[in-house]
Amino acid sequence: MTTDLSAFLDAVSAALGKEWVDQRPETVKRYGEHTLPGAERPPAAVLFPESTQQVQSIVRAANQHGVQLYPISTGNNIGLGSRAPIKPGQVIVDLGYRMNRILEVNEETCFAEVQPGVSFQMLHDELARRGDKLMVSATSGPPHGGILGNAMDRGAGYGPYFDHFGMLCGMEVVLGNGDIVRTGDGSLEGDNLVNWHVSKYSFGPALDGLFAQSNFGIVTRAAIWLMPRPPAARSFHFVFPDDEDIGEIIDLCRPMKLSNFVPTLFRISNDLYAMAPEDQNWEYLQGSKEAFSVEGRRTLQEKHGLGAWQVSGMFYGASDAAIEPSIQRVKAHFERSGKARYISHDEALGIPALSIAIDAMNGRPSANELGMLQWRPGSGNSWFLPGTPMVGRQALELDRLGREIYAKHGMDYIIMHVASARFARGLHVLVWNKDDADENARADACYRELAHEFAKRGVGVGRAPADYHDLHMGMMMPSLQKAFGEIKNALDPNGILAQGKYGIYSVGETVETR
Amino acid sequence: MKTSFTETQLARPEIAEADKILGTCQHFGFCTSGCPTYTLLHDENDGPRGRIDLIKEMLEQGGSPSPKTIGHIDRCLSCMSCMTTCAVKVDYMHLVDIGRVYIEENYRRPWRDRIPRDVLGYVLPRPALFKAMLAAGRLALRFEKLMPPSLRHMTKLIPEAAKASPHSLAACTVYPAQNERRWRVAVLAGCVQPVLSPHINDATIRLLTRLGCEVIVPAAAGCCGSLNLHMGKRDAAMQFAAANIRAWVSEMDGEGLDAIVVNASGCGTTVKDYGHMFSGDADLAEAAHRVSNIAMDISEWLQSMGLSDSALLPPYKVAYHDACSLRNAQKVTVQPRDLLRQAGFHVVDVGEAHFCCGSAGTYNMFQPELARQLGARKAANIARVEPQIIAAGNIGCINQIRLYSGIPIVHTVELLDWAHGGPVPPALEGVRLETPEPMAREPEPASAAEAPIHLHRHTGTSDESDLGVW
Repeated sequence: MTTDLSAFLDAVSAALGKEWVDQRPETVKRYGEHTLPGAERPPAAVLFPESTQQVQSIVRAANQHGVQLYPISTGNNIGLGSRAPIKPGQVIVDLGYRMNRILEVNEETCFAEVQPGVSFQMLHDELARRGDKLMVSATSGPPHGGILGNAMDRGAGYGPYFDHFGMLCGMEVVLGNGDIVRTGDGSLEGDNLVNWHVSKYSFGPALDGLFAQSNFGIVTRAAIWLMPRPPAARSFHFVFPDDEDIGEIIDLCRPMKLSNFVPTLFRISNDLYAMAPEDQNWEYLQGSKEAFSVEGRRTLQEKHGLGAWQVSGMFYGASDAAIEPSIQRVKAHFERSGKARYISHDEALGIPALSIAIDAMNGRPSANELGMLQWRPGSGNSWFLPGTPMVGRQALELDRLGREIYAKHGMDYIIMHVASARFARGLHVLVWNKDDADENARADACYRELAHEFAKRGVGVGRAPADYHDLHMGMMMPSLQKAFGEIKNALDPNGILAQGKYGIYSVGETVETR
Repeated sequence: MKTSFTETQLARPEIAEADKILGTCQHFGFCTSGCPTYTLLHDENDGPRGRIDLIKEMLEQGGSPSPKTIGHIDRCLSCMSCMTTCAVKVDYMHLVDIGRVYIEENYRRPWRDRIPRDVLGYVLPRPALFKAMLAAGRLALRFEKLMPPSLRHMTKLIPEAAKASPHSLAACTVYPAQNERRWRVAVLAGCVQPVLSPHINDATIRLLTRLGCEVIVPAAAGCCGSLNLHMGKRDAAMQFAAANIRAWVSEMDGEGLDAIVVNASGCGTTVKDYGHMFSGDADLAEAAHRVSNIAMDISEWLQSMGLSDSALLPPYKVAYHDACSLRNAQKVTVQPRDLLRQAGFHVVDVGEAHFCCGSAGTYNMFQPELARQLGARKAANIARVEPQIIAAGNIGCINQIRLYSGIPIVHTVELLDWAHGGPVPPALEGVRLETPEPMAREPEPASAAEAPIHLHRHTGTSDESDLGVW
C-alpha cells in the first residue's frame, strides 16, 4: 500500500484541529527518545485526539492513506520503550494528553471507567477526594503512568487486585479497520449497559485478551475494578543475609499464598533493587567496568541495615489489633528458617527501601523506586521480565544463571521477585550508561543472552522492551506466530496499527519491510 | 546529558554548577506530565526537559539569549513538581535559577517588562515602600480604566487592607515565653507578609510564646531574598540574605537559637538554601550553613515541640493546600496535616496536589493568564472536596487562591493558634461555619477478638450499602 503522509496529516488536521497535529522538531525528537540500547526512533508526527470518534477518524484516514500509527497512553513505560514508536516514522497517537477523563466511579460495585490518559495518581486523587473508600492497585513505577496502558501491557501491582489486565472489565476498542467494538455486555444497544463493567463474559467469544500486548486495536476506554480501602493495613518484612537464601524464601512464601493467608503478593527484592533508589554505584563512578563487587554489596547492606534479600507483604483488616495475630503467624513461619530477621511495619516506615513496598501495597502511587535509575548515570534502562515456578530449587537455579550472565557483561544484578502462589515474576533491571558505546553494547548483549538462556530452560518473558519484541516473538512456535499474523490481517487488514509491536506483523509483511 | 562547555566557561562557578546538573538529566521524561505549564501549553519547551535543553543551549552558546528562550524560561513557575518525579533527582531548582541570573545579566528586556520587574524587585522586599505602593494601588483601583492595560491585571492582586490587630506584634523584637521559657527561636518576619497579612505573624508569635518559646524577630532581618532570586536579580537577593544571616548568627552566638522559624514556605525554601547560595562566599559560607541547618517551617518546628491535642473547636472540614515550596521543595507534607488533625480539624486533601496554584512569587504578576488558569483549576479542585475552610502554609498561595475561591482561606498557623486558645482568624470573622458531626473515634479494643467489624459505607445516597467488611 502506498503511503501519503501529507494527505493523511491534512485529513487528521481537519478532524482534530491543526493544533492537535504536532510535527514540531522538539516534539518529534523527544517522542523518539527511549532508554533502550537501540537508536532513537522519531515519529513522523504526534496526534492528540480527544475522543473515541477522533481516534476512529485517525484510523480511517490511516487506512485510506497507508500511514502507520503507534498509539500510546501516557508514555511512562520507561525501560520498556517509553513513548517511542516501534519503527521510526510511525505516527504517534498520544491518547494521554486529552483523553484523560475518569468517566465513572461506581462505589457500589467498585470500579472506575477510565480513558487511556488517566494515571495512577489521578485515580488515586479522585478516590481520595471521594472519601478514600476505594483503593487503586498501584505499581511502584511512575505515578503519572497510565492505568490502561499498564493493564494492556499486562503490568501489575502488589495487592489482591494486582493483575491489572485481569481487573479490567468491559472495553471500548477502535479496531485497525476503523470499526468500534465494545466487549462483553457493552455490545448491547442502548446507553444503559448495566453489566458492561461488572461481568467479564457475555455471549460469544471473549475478545478482551486479544487487545493486551497486541496491535489489533486501540482501547479508548475500559473499567478497572477497585478494592475497598481497608480501615487498617500493616506490612511485615524479613531480611535474609545470603544470595542462596532465595530458594528457601520461595518455599516459605508459597504456602502462605496457596492458602491465600497473605492477601498481597510478596515483594522479594535483592540488595541492589532495594537500595539502588537511595544510592549510587560508587565503584562505577570510580571507573570500574565490572559488576558491583561482593564487598561493595556487603558494605551497602550494612549501610542500609538490610540484607541480600528483603521480603515484604501486607495484611488488611479492621484495625491494627485485628491484623496483629496474622503478622505473628507469618513471623513464626518465616523465623523457622533461622535466617530471617523480622522488621516491623512501624520500623519499615523509616527505611526508604521498605516504605516503597508499603506505599505500593497500600495503593499509594510513589516515585521513590524510580531512583534506581540513577544507580549508574547515563539513561540506559531496560527490564528483563521472566519468571519462576514457586519452587525454591528452580528459583535458585535461575537466580544463579541470571547473576552469572549479568556479571559476565559487567552489569549490576538488580532483581525483585514478585511472588504469587505458583509463580513469581522476576523483575530484572538493567541500568547502564547509554552514552558509553561499549557499555551500551554490553547491556544489549546481556539482555539477549538472558533471553536465550532462560528460554532454553523453558522460561519466557511476561513483558519485554520494544527493542526485543522481535527476539521474543521469534522464539515462539511458527504456527502461533502465523495465527497472530492472521488475526492481525483480520482486524487490521491494511496493517496500519503499530506494525511490529510485540513482534506481530501482518501475514505477508516481508522481512525487508519490517 | 552531554554538554560542550569550554574550559573558559567551566572556570565560572555557576557554569560549572550548571554543567554538573545538566549532566544528570537523562531525558526520561517523568517530569513532563507533572509540569503545570506543559499540561496547559502542550509545548515540549514549556516542560522541564525542554527548558533544561534551552538553558543548556543558552549557556553553551553564550551571548544574549533569544526572546523565545526567555519566554519559555519565564513561564516556568519554579514549582518544582518536576523534581518530585525525576528518577535521577536533577537539581532543576538551582539550574533554573542559574538560567534566570544569566538572562538578567545578558539580556535587556523591553522597558514594558523591565520597569515593573525592577520596581517590584526593589519595592516588595522593603515593607515601608511596599505599604506605600499598596496604598497607591488601592487608590488606583478607583481609576482602573485609566491604567495601562498591561498593568491592569496587577490591581486585581491587591487585597483589601489587612485587619491588623491594633498592636501588631511584629513591630517588637523580643517576645517572652508565657510561663516557663523552654525554647528560644527566631521568626522570619518577612517583607510582603507583614504588610499584607500581619495577622499571620501575630498568630505565629502568639502560639509559639504560649507554648514556651521566647521569640526573637531581629530588626536587621527582613526579606529572605527569594523574590529577587527568582527574577534573576542575584546580587539583590544575596544582599537581603546576607543581612538575615548576620542577624541570626548574632543571635545564635549570643543567647542561642533552637530554630529559625519561617511561616512563609516560599521564604523557607530559600532560607534553607542559604548554605548552597553562599557556598562560594569565604566570609559567610559557614554562617549560612549554620542558619540553613536550623531553619524550619513553622509546622516542622511545632511538631518537633510535641504540640498537644486540642478539642476546643468543632471538627471543621479543612482542605489543606500543599504550597509547592513546602510539598515539592521542602518535602513538608505530613506535619501540617498531623498538626491540624491533632487540633481537632477534619483535614481533607486536594486533588492534583502537584499542581501549582499559580502564585509562584511574582509569577501571577508577570504571567497573569497562566496564573489565572492555574488559580481557577486549583479552586475547582478545592471546591470538589467541599471544605468549610482552606488552609495553606504560604501567603502567596493564600492570596492567589482567595482570588478564585469563595471559601475562606487562612494560614495553617492561624487555625492552630485558634484551636489552642487564640482568636478567630480574621478571614473567618463573621463567617458562619456549620458545626459538623463529631468524627467517630474508634474505641481501642482490649484484645484482637474484640476488634470491631468495619462496614465501609457508601454515603452518597440514603440507600446505603456495604463496600467492604473487615
